[in-house]
Amino acid sequence: MTADESNAQQPALLIVDDEPIVQQSLADWFRSDGYDVDSAGSAKEALRKVAEGRYDIALVDIKMPGMDGLELQSRLAEVAPDLTIIMITAFASVDSAVKALKAGAYDYVTKPFDPDELSHLVRRAVEHRSLRSENIRLKESLEAIAGSPTIIGASPAMRRVLELVGAVSETDATVLIRGESGTGKELVARAVHNQSPRRYNPMVVVNCGALAEGVLESELFGHEKGAFTGAQYRHKGKFEMADGGTIFLDEIGAITKKVQVELLRVLEDKVVTRVGGQTPIPIDFRVIAATNQDLEAMVEADDFREDLFWRINVFTIEIPPLRERSGDIPLLAEHFLGQFCLAMNRRASTITPEAIEVLSAYSWPGNVRELENAIERAIVVGKECVVHSEDLPVRVSGGADREVPGSSLADIERTHIHNTLVGMGWNISKAAEALGVDRGTLYNKIKKYGLQRPPDGAG
Amino acid sequence: MEPASGTASIEAVHLLTVGPFPRLLAEELTARLSREVGVPCRLLDEAAEIKPQILPERAQVHADDLLRQLEALPIEKGTKLVGVTLLDIAIPIFTFVFGRSRLGGPATLVSLARLKPEFYGMPADPAVTVRRGVAEILHEVGHNLELKHCRNYSCLMYFSHDVETVDLRGLSYCSSCAPLLPAGFLATGRRRF
Ligand SMILES: [Zn+2]
Ligand SMILES: [Zn+2]
Repeated sequence: MTADESNAQQPALLIVDDEPIVQQSLADWFRSDGYDVDSAGSAKEALRKVAEGRYDIALVDIKMPGMDGLELQSRLAEVAPDLTIIMITAFASVDSAVKALKAGAYDYVTKPFDPDELSHLVRRAVEHRSLRSENIRLKESLEAIAGSPTIIGASPAMRRVLELVGAVSETDATVLIRGESGTGKELVARAVHNQSPRRYNPMVVVNCGALAEGVLESELFGHEKGAFTGAQYRHKGKFEMADGGTIFLDEIGAITKKVQVELLRVLEDKVVTRVGGQTPIPIDFRVIAATNQDLEAMVEADDFREDLFWRINVFTIEIPPLRERSGDIPLLAEHFLGQFCLAMNRRASTITPEAIEVLSAYSWPGNVRELENAIERAIVVGKECVVHSEDLPVRVSGGADREVPGSSLADIERTHIHNTLVGMGWNISKAAEALGVDRGTLYNKIKKYGLQRPPDGAG
Repeated sequence: MEPASGTASIEAVHLLTVGPFPRLLAEELTARLSREVGVPCRLLDEAAEIKPQILPERAQVHADDLLRQLEALPIEKGTKLVGVTLLDIAIPIFTFVFGRSRLGGPATLVSLARLKPEFYGMPADPAVTVRRGVAEILHEVGHNLELKHCRNYSCLMYFSHDVETVDLRGLSYCSSCAPLLPAGFLATGRRRF
């Protein structure tokens, strides 16, 4: 649906300005933003139009020849007390704008307009009148995209995941998604969001692991213009962007203690203050967090705040690694094959039974993402429209996933630490003792080498 | 093949840089754009006749004047011309715009000045700048191809007034807008999932 096709319920704006260029540009701009727009070149014309038609919001230039904006405002208040009035002023005449506010104007904007501020102000005025909530407008156009994303899996383990998604999405509960990398945590988060009442508002994704600390604060909470060197314009944080919707905090274990403190406060108060800003901004959001790290061990090692852990660990969805649901491999392989063939404009191809067998026997440490990449590669290298086992990456078709130890010190250290951890059943304290290091050091090594505890804790 | 809608049709997209613009960045932008669209994208040599005008009392280029200059260039039929610039652009009533175009027009203008993370004090990231640039180009060319704004926040044709919304939108036209585009405009080999 485009703006113009929406029905007559859209808010009606009246622009009152003596400059035709301002009138015209504003009218075009608001029209393309989905409003019903009319304009008047003088106070007299505005009064006539308001007497004849129905308007919701009037944007009135304070400085006009003849009857000025302030006088028009008081006349309008008599004939159309319901009308929301926003005054337009130049920087120099903010005084008269304040006068207008005292006389009952909703707010004022200064020329030239900051497009974002203007849009925000008018939207706020519309919501204030509760003419038509953004949600209702969005519903009409978003119903189509709000369908479930594709989570493929018929195994009991995945059916359980889908059940949990269905159960939690109707609530507003915080969700913690756990699983190895490549298991599709974002896809599950999206499924929760898309089945929730918040689905008409965005799900904003933050990859906490990909950002440096100083940047993460700005990314999450935003900053004001001039908050630090180089900030020539304000920056909205991800929480602000998630208003009404969901914020997906991926790799939540990667954030520093300092940001953990601030994050906890935001999760508790549902209010953010931009860096360098004074005004707290209330935000309505739902949190979905995800991690492939052992948060309990991190709490134990004092790398993750316990209070934050309990705040996010409300409802957990554990995504099994692919090797624990190998029954889903043929299904997934066929699914990716279909998608890639479509995307690459290839005729639909098939996977030989032999290749399926190879795929099913491999342990997929990179999980669904690795399988997806292997299928993509097979289609690229394969000459025919059939995926043979020899088109698959060597590490897959080799059948074994023995860890090939390298010769570098780091490789040896990694293997040694891994073996010790497995030997100690992933008890961090015992493993640290056996290795002769403290838990913090061990924890850092685990992070550095990306070692992962199997979800069942069986080592 | 018949175009899917109206009279709009497109055979090529030509990029033209306006003002100082690193060649490498222009090439990257062209390459990234051609991954998204199904028609050839070509980077043109600078046009000497284009002369950006400064808005009175503001250190910004008059976007609508520049768009008119671009539209006045000889543009081949079936081609959409995209002027890209690093200059900060605005129109008299607004403090800035990301881009300008007319519905069904032959040319668009997009500025990367406020799409760069550096503008917001964030670390420079050319990949982010290029992705946002491509998103804005696709939005403005969408107008050239007679698409209006869309209510779907994840659609390229959503009206965005800030760079954060540009990021939220992503790089796809929604399922309502995409079918209105001329046949062949969208790349078929694009990964869409
Ligand atoms: Zn637009
Ligand atoms: Zn759309």
